[in-house]
Amino acid sequence: MSFSRRNFLIATGVAAAGTTVLSACGGSGGGSSSNDKVPSVSGAKTMNIPVGTKADSTGPAPEVPGAVKGGTIYSLDQFDMDHLDPAQIYVSTEGAITRPILRGLTGYKIDDKGGCTLIGDVATDAGTMKDGGKTWSFTIKDGIKWEDGADLSMDDVRHTFERLFASFVTEGPRYVQQWLVGGDKYKGPYSGKSLDSIEIDGKTITFHLTEARADFNYTLGMPGYGLVPKKHDTKEQYDKRPFALGPYKIGDRKIGKSLTYVRNEHWDPKTDAMRNAYPDKYLFQFGYETVASTDRYIADKGNDQYTMSIFNEVAPERTQQVLTNATLKKRVLTQVDTVTYYWPINMTRIKDVKVRQAINWAWPHQQLQTIRGGKATSELASTILSPVTPGYEHFDLYGVETKPGGDPAKAKALLKEAGKVGQKLVIAYQQSDNAVKQAVAIKNALEAAGFKVVNKQVDKTTFYTQIGKIDNGYDLFAAGWSPDWPNGYSVFFPCWSGKNIGDGRSNYAQLNDPTVNKAIDQASTIADTKAANKAWGAIDKQIMELAAVVPDYHSIRNWMYGSKVGNVVYDAGNTCVALCKLYVKK
Amino acid sequence: MTSTDQQIFLSVRDLKVHFSTEDGIVKAVDGLSFDLAKGKTLGIVGESGSGKSVTNLSILGLHDPARTTIDGEILLDGKDLLTATERELERLRGNKMSMIFQDALASLSPYHTIGTQIGETYRKHTGASKKEARARAIEMLRRVGIPQPDVRVDDYPHQFSGGMRQRAMIAMALVCDPELLIADEPTTALDVTVQAQIMDLLKDLQQEFGTAIIFITHDLGVIADIADDVLVMYGGRCVERGTKQEVLRTPQHPYTLGLMTSMPSLEGSVDVPLNPIPGSPPSLLNPPSGCRFHPRCTFTEKVADGLCSTERPLLDVVDGRGSACHLSLEQREEFFAEFAASRHN
Amino acid sequence: MPRFLVRRVLGALVILLIISAVTFWLFYAVPRDPATMSCGKNCTPDMLAQIRHNLGIDHPIPVQYWEWLKGVFVGRDYAGFGHCNAPCLGYSFANRQPVLGTILDRLPLTLSLAFGSAVVFLVFGIGTGMMAAVKQGKWQDKVASSASLVASSMQIYFVGYLAMYLLVAKLDILDNPSYTPLTDDPVGWASGLMLPWLVLSLIWTANYTRMTRSQLVETLSEDYVRTARAKGLSRRNVFFRFAWRGAMGPIVTIFGIDLATLIGGAIITESVFSLQGVGRLALSSVDKSDLPMLLGVTVLSAGAIVFFNIIVDAVYALIDPRIRLA
Repeated sequence: MSFSRRNFLIATGVAAAGTTVLSACGGSGGGSSSNDKVPSVSGAKTMNIPVGTKADSTGPAPEVPGAVKGGTIYSLDQFDMDHLDPAQIYVSTEGAITRPILRGLTGYKIDDKGGCTLIGDVATDAGTMKDGGKTWSFTIKDGIKWEDGADLSMDDVRHTFERLFASFVTEGPRYVQQWLVGGDKYKGPYSGKSLDSIEIDGKTITFHLTEARADFNYTLGMPGYGLVPKKHDTKEQYDKRPFALGPYKIGDRKIGKSLTYVRNEHWDPKTDAMRNAYPDKYLFQFGYETVASTDRYIADKGNDQYTMSIFNEVAPERTQQVLTNATLKKRVLTQVDTVTYYWPINMTRIKDVKVRQAINWAWPHQQLQTIRGGKATSELASTILSPVTPGYEHFDLYGVETKPGGDPAKAKALLKEAGKVGQKLVIAYQQSDNAVKQAVAIKNALEAAGFKVVNKQVDKTTFYTQIGKIDNGYDLFAAGWSPDWPNGYSVFFPCWSGKNIGDGRSNYAQLNDPTVNKAIDQASTIADTKAANKAWGAIDKQIMELAAVVPDYHSIRNWMYGSKVGNVVYDAGNTCVALCKLYVKK
Repeated sequence: MTSTDQQIFLSVRDLKVHFSTEDGIVKAVDGLSFDLAKGKTLGIVGESGSGKSVTNLSILGLHDPARTTIDGEILLDGKDLLTATERELERLRGNKMSMIFQDALASLSPYHTIGTQIGETYRKHTGASKKEARARAIEMLRRVGIPQPDVRVDDYPHQFSGGMRQRAMIAMALVCDPELLIADEPTTALDVTVQAQIMDLLKDLQQEFGTAIIFITHDLGVIADIADDVLVMYGGRCVERGTKQEVLRTPQHPYTLGLMTSMPSLEGSVDVPLNPIPGSPPSLLNPPSGCRFHPRCTFTEKVADGLCSTERPLLDVVDGRGSACHLSLEQREEFFAEFAASRHN
Repeated sequence: MPRFLVRRVLGALVILLIISAVTFWLFYAVPRDPATMSCGKNCTPDMLAQIRHNLGIDHPIPVQYWEWLKGVFVGRDYAGFGHCNAPCLGYSFANRQPVLGTILDRLPLTLSLAFGSAVVFLVFGIGTGMMAAVKQGKWQDKVASSASLVASSMQIYFVGYLAMYLLVAKLDILDNPSYTPLTDDPVGWASGLMLPWLVLSLIWTANYTRMTRSQLVETLSEDYVRTARAKGLSRRNVFFRFAWRGAMGPIVTIFGIDLATLIGGAIITESVFSLQGVGRLALSSVDKSDLPMLLGVTVLSAGAIVFFNIIVDAVYALIDPRIRLA
């Protein structure tokens, strides 16, 4: 799922800042070593998200056993959504919250075995590929209606993709804009021009792409490609009040405070294989810090019994209390996330692979995990891909599992071989309570291995601007990334391809290895999902052999919810809690 | 109220005022007695810390009851003030007995107009209406010689000059025609010309109303001007008393003598050195034994058996004249004679 | 008085102008680019340029400031949003919502929090301080003074969470704090804010207790209070019309500043009780490099402080005639 800078900030920076306010003077910091008592989730199952069939794509969605219609689901979350216009949605919370109201060409069907399949949402299936992936066609189902009862028209579908080129669309994913033929010159539909590479024939839409994209149907499953009606496209204002195609529509909106969904009577369950619609209403409430929401879940009083959270997880201050209590733990959905946090090594400055490998050997993974709150909230990482991303290969080149505290001796030996004992490292870190503590632990570990470390604190608000520069003057800094759809492409291409080195680009390590570049280009064109995944896994290992980065950890999500919320399951396609599968217990 | 009424109006008997402090008991007033008749002015002379202000505050009952122990008797027109209730005292204050203070600027409320401050006393004690009180205030201001009283009645104290403020305070104190007026160094902060005017005013008012006045000062010139009788206080005790002429012309106590001789003479040469009394006022926490003045007195060797430091000299008053000193009258005549001669003019 | 007010108001406008300029400058003094906050994951330089254009930050800083200033006085046209009427504070960089509208939306809560707790801490603080001053030295004074010292050392995030845990979660005496507009449901308004009022007041009450006590002790020993008593006025009359009058000045001054600060947003209180007020708006606008919102909130807070300073000065002149000449 998507992971914009802002989401990154929200997940690590801003939330950490919130915890800083609360924990800095309150005494205990975010982590305590006694969190080792908390059970870990290592050994997460790898995911496989295949493409489904036409039958899979045909509605209605399978019933959830025991589910009943009715009731209201509430939510407690820290931040309101800045954007509801699908074209501006990249942040995972915005994607999650719009699943009940928006529909796209393709989407993810969750089955009751914990699995997930890519199917057609408004399309009859997950699309037909031609020319090795340069042409994609989708046929639209019948009987799909907007919240005002109007039919979903082919004009709407065309319009959805053409408006992505408008000047006010700046936040969402840029894939369609990059890959549609003629996209570099097209300025959007509002001046009356249309894009030729989008063909409509009857109820079939065909896209002509500039490069072969074997996984374009996965790309189109992103929330950023939700459909928009031409007649009701209010352009910049659409961001506040999108038009619904799904089982629910927006009932009320108090910006910054709440968002209410009520039923969309015109939604036909027979056209929808992905969504159940059990609750009568959703009432999302914003402005609640994680400690506040966790405390309310623990107390489980009144309406809080019918409440869940999209963004707020169990607060670090309460993790131990909640996860060691059997009754409370039953109401926590625990899931390893697709995001990997890692420390790219600036290869333009650190040119010797042995030095980079030494950094990997010396890295104090376990101490950092403890500082962050222990095994309950993160898994140690030895790969770039998260275990739950299809394509993940398990390997451990630098002893993360055998020596999680680091192996300074091995590191020092490597440095000696390279003749670089005493190598200076300039490490940038953000100003937040945890970041400071981690910087100290990293410095100690690396210096024990024979490095000389200079820690540089960078202001939170300018951190990304600074590290985004090619000449940032740093050797290491923290970063994180998650795929936009469940495979390796949207991880490896933007972050590890030599084509993406530049100010503000995401190849922070400035890796420009011809073999890797070639492998990435090739893997992008493999049609067979299984074979493609294997190729990405191999690239992961290749990059790790070059030691371009130090993988640090994969996030573990702990979403708590009230006792009367039924069927809280994980949506692996959108990496969030599956809102459309919830029901209100009586 | 006739000005020649000789009956005793205020009678203080053996007044002792002790403060309990963290360091111990401060004996601010240690056995003071005096009488005052209507129409008469008693001048109380003494240095700072001699207990003169404390005496007056005790008469009005304005001491802090938590920390102060008062013994003795204060009879105002027959009523014992020390046993009176707070309500009874409130009815007397500002009404039958009033006080004017040294620092008029600090003693007047900066938040209320002069008219209000004068008027509120009047209203409290006579139940007059606002209009009546205001008229009365204007009348009082006129009486004390403030020009344009109908305009100035609405001014605030900070808009008055020093002398006018003092007059206003006198107006405030006299608004209910009190029978006893205590003036606590009212002219100390004023320049000499204004001082003279205030003194004249008080004398006129006393003439008119027959008010008994206690006038506290450390300035002998003022005493000479206004007092009928004089009481010299030292270390919380009365050391000499008598009529103005008696005390000022023939002082009977080394302290009084010292006060007299320390006054520079207008006729004398400029470069004649001043003659202060050596030493400093006694600590009231740990006062000297015996005669409180003895550490500073030049005549102690003349007294047999070192009595001065062991025994407290008694104040024997005959016909209103007396002093507390171990020296015999003959001794005093001899030693002070020279002084008395030089002052007879 | 009118001339005094006019002068002060003009001075206030100048101050607000300076503050807005300084905020603008400070914002850009740090090397930050608001465009990157709004840019998606795969940000290209073209995208950044487009965003900068959309946000209106592709002009030099003085030009941006001038445009903003013009908007405040005469309104401004925004591409895609139409005309924004004066006073136009622009649109948030983060969610493109009108700044003024957002602030006005959050203001009722902040005002409710401010005035509600002001009532509580004034009544309790001044009341306790009065009692302590009158019973100076006795056990009531000692208890009040020690208690206020302890209370003023407490922190909102400590007391707040503790209170929520005890009163809401464990004992179920109060509901979770929430905001209902006064006009909709007065009872709900008061009960929803009761806990935040009490917690916020707990710490501020202590300040007023100590201040009231020390001011009163001082004025009670003033000469004019002694004179008032010497005139035979009753103890109560003397206390309220004289001692109190003198003590009020500093208390009124401090209260004015405190109230202004509260209106600028009680950030910690709002966070602890999950209330959406101006304070959290300020915090989030800093985090998100949201210049228009930051400016709006800053100017509002500064405006509140300046405004209350003027009021306090006017009230002080009313209390103390000696000040009126200025």
